[in-house]
Amino acid sequence: MATVQTAPGAARVQRQPPGNRKRVRSAGARAERWAGLVLATPALLVFVVFMFVPLVLTLWYSLHKYRGFGTMEFIGAENYAEIVRDDTFWKALLNTALYTAVSVPLGIVLGLGGALLLNRAMPGRGLFRALFYVPVVISGVASGVIFLRLFDPLIGLINQLLDTVGLPTVDWQGSGSAALATIIIVTTWQGVGFGMVIYLAGLQGIPRELYEAAAVDGATGWKRFINVTWPLLGPTTFFLVVYSIILSFQVFDVVYVMTRGGPGTSTTFLVQYAYDQGFNQRRQGYAAAIGVIIYVIVLLFTVAQWRLSKRRDEA
Amino acid sequence: MPNLDRRSFVKVMGLTGVGAALGACSSGSTAGSTSGASAASTGKLSGTATLTTWGADTEIATFKKIAAAFKAERGADVKIEVLPYDQIRTVVDRRLQANQAPDLFRVSYTDVKGYADSGVLADISEYLDPSFGDAFLPALWDAMGTDGKPAGVPHHTDTSALAYNKKHFAAAGITEVPSTLETAWTWEEFTEVLEKLKAADLGAAPFAYNYQLFGAYRWYNTLYQAGGSLLDDSLANVTLDTPEARKALEFTKSLYTKKLHAPSVLVKRPTYPDEIFPTQKISMIQTGDFLIPSLQSAIGKKFDWGVTYLMRDSAAATDLGGNGVVVTEQAKNKDVAAEFAKFLVTKENMALFCEENTVLPVRTDLVDAELKYAVRPDLMPVFQKQATTMPAALVRVSTVPAFPGINQALVDNMDQYLSNPSASTDSVISGLTASIEKALKA
Repeated sequence: MATVQTAPGAARVQRQPPGNRKRVRSAGARAERWAGLVLATPALLVFVVFMFVPLVLTLWYSLHKYRGFGTMEFIGAENYAEIVRDDTFWKALLNTALYTAVSVPLGIVLGLGGALLLNRAMPGRGLFRALFYVPVVISGVASGVIFLRLFDPLIGLINQLLDTVGLPTVDWQGSGSAALATIIIVTTWQGVGFGMVIYLAGLQGIPRELYEAAAVDGATGWKRFINVTWPLLGPTTFFLVVYSIILSFQVFDVVYVMTRGGPGTSTTFLVQYAYDQGFNQRRQGYAAAIGVIIYVIVLLFTVAQWRLSKRRDEA
Repeated sequence: MPNLDRRSFVKVMGLTGVGAALGACSSGSTAGSTSGASAASTGKLSGTATLTTWGADTEIATFKKIAAAFKAERGADVKIEVLPYDQIRTVVDRRLQANQAPDLFRVSYTDVKGYADSGVLADISEYLDPSFGDAFLPALWDAMGTDGKPAGVPHHTDTSALAYNKKHFAAAGITEVPSTLETAWTWEEFTEVLEKLKAADLGAAPFAYNYQLFGAYRWYNTLYQAGGSLLDDSLANVTLDTPEARKALEFTKSLYTKKLHAPSVLVKRPTYPDEIFPTQKISMIQTGDFLIPSLQSAIGKKFDWGVTYLMRDSAAATDLGGNGVVVTEQAKNKDVAAEFAKFLVTKENMALFCEENTVLPVRTDLVDAELKYAVRPDLMPVFQKQATTMPAALVRVSTVPAFPGINQALVDNMDQYLSNPSASTDSVISGLTASIEKALKA
């Protein structure tokens, strides 16, 4: 006859009368709830203080005419009505969309390329992985300052190198398309390490047996990539695409340091425009309204990511 | 420098010109009176105040030297807090918003009224003799507050002239530069000089303006040289749709289209011509006298450089530069703050600051004084004389409460106009007019 062994504590609980058992269970659940609450409190506090309150305040400011100090004047939806008529806002939105359309695929391709390269056994692999990742931990402002000097059309190293090898120099920041290119180059350089690390994690999650089976079936390297690697990296790619789109709608520091949105409005993105309005023109209410619109756009992408991820997990 | 020129400067800065226009705000005392400002307080003070400022190393050293003298004389500490120039306005604004403003802060004349109109600056009248303001150039004293309520003190002024690379000029066969205001290059002569520099193929852009970002308003120089104006006398209406303004815009743009101006040195770009001039990649720049120490330090013995007067068209004109120091309404130690502001602009301390930092005094009793400038004193007479060409109307439009919005309108519209070869003068005039009207109404 099989015997059931119970832990000493459990045996004690079993010996409790039914009424007490319920009380103890509910006391345990209460304690668990309290413990959960205590553990979640720091994160909740951070969320409330740094996310929720500013969000509500931003919504509130967006309904006012406010310089950032002095008095606030309630103007209802006037800021939003002005945004609809504001050509520069639409230009900034278009620029942001264009930047996203170029920088996101570029970052994905380079991140994947780096990950495939550094996923192989090779000398100095750890060092190369670290080098790829270093730009991620350098502040955007520092990167901006470095590249501002490198791309300087008059005294920058890049034009001097082009000149040395007999190539025509480029007016990197005097021409709109060249200035946009510098922003894409710098932000891609900054972000490629992150994509690479995420892809490396994805690559290492692919079972070796699948590659071995593909090899037995006679699949070449390219076919193995197309039929095994790429499909199994689908969730990783999906995450990176959505995450990169969200980040690209928030690009600011590099633009602020390198071009301030110029020449003209060639590199004016939504956050840069909101900053200009809020801090240079002291139109905090208007800037808050732009902020709310950026929030809605990012929210849409986040909801899309959440829903599609859920569907994928359920499939 | 001849006395006549210095007196002309006083006249331009208000005793007859701006002063006539702003007379209602002036206390009406005679020029040169120093009675108020020289009657320094002497009682002992206690506690600490903070002065938030930006500045070159030499400026900060002078502020600290004066704070130490204040401590010795009055017993109170003044802490000098230094912020980068590009950030000071944003940081001070946020501190005002958070009720954590410094006791005093350094501020451009162009920004004072914007703050004062919002009620964030203190009225320091109670700390001043009734005639205190008479010690200063009237236009600048008036700029330090609204409705006759001073919020601070004018500290110094500065202005622009042309700095040029003598080696490049010699290589281009330019043997002479104007030595008097009267013989300053006309726009045509100036363009010819730039053409010579370009033809000499020196591996450098011939010229660059200093109208970047917060300095975008320095384009007023060109506008007023052409006889144009930004606003009418009521300061409520934009006056850019005129032949003069059109001429000024087209002249500015022509320097880019003819490749006489460094193409990448635009209005929005956060790299300034004075940072490139020492590398000899630009042969001549429009620059302020306050940059003489940093230019001299960067250039060293690499090449000889000099300064000459700004070009002129139907008139000569230069911009209003310089700063004051204001006391905030939120100041924790208003007594110390106000007394330090007064101490900063005694005759001796203003002279000390100007001499060590190559800027111009704003006390009428120093305008004629022979100041011993610490760096390149040979260059300062040009700036002193150039300052006499500061039009009264230019000073008035530079100190309107809407200035930050107007300056930003210039940043956005001028950058667009100058960077885009196909942008039309009509479009920039309508863009500027609309943006400035919006700023005036904001």
